[in-house]
Amino acid sequence: MTTTDSDVLDVRAAAHRQKRRRQISYVLYLILGIVLSLLMWELVAAPFSPLFYLVPPPFDAFRHFGENLMFSERMLERYVHACPDLLDELEVTGRGMFDLPDHCFGYIRHLMRTTRNIMIAVTLGTVFGLTVGLSSLVFPRIADVVTPIAGFFGTTPIFIAAPFFVIWFGIEYPLMTTVGVVVFYTTLLMYFFSRRAADNIEVGIIESALTLGGDRRSIFRWVYLPGTIPEIAGGFRIALAGAWGLGTLVEVLGIQMGGGFLIRMWSFAMGVLEGPAAVVSLILFFGVLAVLVDGVLVLFIRFITRWSESGRRLGL
Amino acid sequence: MSTVVNFENLWCVFEHRSGQLVHALEDVNFSVDPGEFVCVVGRSGHGKTTLLRVLAGLQPPTAGAVKLGDTAVSGPGSDRAMVFQQDTVFPWLHVRENVEFGLRSNKVPEDERNEITDYWLSAVGLEDFADSWPRELSGGMRKRVALASAMAVGSDVVLMDEPFGSVDYFTRRNLHEVLLNLWFETKKTIFFVTHDIEEALILADRVILLAEGKLVDDIPVTLPRPRNEDVRATPEAVGVFKLILRHLGITEEEATRA
Repeated sequence: MTTTDSDVLDVRAAAHRQKRRRQISYVLYLILGIVLSLLMWELVAAPFSPLFYLVPPPFDAFRHFGENLMFSERMLERYVHACPDLLDELEVTGRGMFDLPDHCFGYIRHLMRTTRNIMIAVTLGTVFGLTVGLSSLVFPRIADVVTPIAGFFGTTPIFIAAPFFVIWFGIEYPLMTTVGVVVFYTTLLMYFFSRRAADNIEVGIIESALTLGGDRRSIFRWVYLPGTIPEIAGGFRIALAGAWGLGTLVEVLGIQMGGGFLIRMWSFAMGVLEGPAAVVSLILFFGVLAVLVDGVLVLFIRFITRWSESGRRLGL
Repeated sequence: MSTVVNFENLWCVFEHRSGQLVHALEDVNFSVDPGEFVCVVGRSGHGKTTLLRVLAGLQPPTAGAVKLGDTAVSGPGSDRAMVFQQDTVFPWLHVRENVEFGLRSNKVPEDERNEITDYWLSAVGLEDFADSWPRELSGGMRKRVALASAMAVGSDVVLMDEPFGSVDYFTRRNLHEVLLNLWFETKKTIFFVTHDIEEALILADRVILLAEGKLVDDIPVTLPRPRNEDVRATPEAVGVFKLILRHLGITEEEATRA
């Protein structure tokens, strides 16, 4: 019996169907997981639960978030807004806080500010960490100088360093404080990940490159740079995941704006009906945002590491 | 034109953590003419790989020198491309880019680079896999990529450290054929390290025997090519086989059991 073109096409179609079935089952299990989580949450928040007063039902949290996203009556009542620059301009013309546009009293500006700060900080930290880490592969003396210092700061738990940043930069400069902590954390993490990624490239591969005529420049361009991508990408995901929590935590510690500030503000009203719903909805927002950003990141990493089996399997 | 390779009073001594000195190579002297196919045979840990690494410039000698013509080897270079025992194909580069690596590093212009790459991909039978990732290839195909990369760089001397040790018998036989065809065509000088005596008899013009870091014999292999099973069963071939066994201190019973 011989294999014909139509047999081959059948095999391809079967493989395609199998892949599609895998993707559908992945999505179905994902939906099942979300539904089960919501059911659990409903149970924990039910009137018979001991956590009834602390955990709001999911719908209450979603409703609170929706109602307060663009404009929050409660924020206006508390004279809490997120437009200090705009207020300064208004005050020059003799107007006041109540002349601010509605969105200044909504959660949206706080949440956008936190998101922006974290993105700026992670980008800066990644650029610093990778620049030093990858440069040290070309100029090993850099590693001799930097590694002991990075090692010293790397052993300092970031949750100890975070309050120090708040005290140093103060609550007057929220951008410096939030960004400072996250940059510090991301720089160290990316430096160590880039070094480790380079160390994990097999010596045989470097030696092979050398015997093929590779010099410092070509080995960096064609061996180290692509070869370290999977581990660096993994490090970046860890850094970003940590940055959401860290950036928000710094705001909780004392900054007067941002998602962390909202959580702190509402935490004083935990006994009030709306307090738990507000705190849970804000935590949920950062959780969902982190998952979505990570999802996009996974797709990107999957694309740039498509040469590796693990990279190919990453994600869906 | 290829150059003569000279090993002159070569010593390579390592200090073990215990402080004991390990003589990986002891006063090795021999020279290899251009275009020769030399197999270095010996037991594991008897200096074969060290000899090749010194020639590749990856390991400095303790004393003596390896010279290419009149120039002493002082570091790695594309005039001595090496195929390693382990898989050293760059997994993040397409097959074509792997073969191009040495040419890029040596600043070969793009047109010429493409031409050379196409030629060597075709020579090892991988022209249809130029745009594949190494992970999509079998172990034997990846060895062919490594071989094409080493050949494409244009070195006169090619070093091979047990390159086919990790592939199955049939793939190995196929790779022997590919390698011999390339050698006939290019007449490059090839140093091929192996512990497989049969492999040495299939490939070599000369067998350099190493035992405990010392060169114990330099055996010319004058069997006619191609060296199929019939040739390897001739009294001359069996005689060389037994001579190598004797030098390595292996009895025929041990060899049969192995």
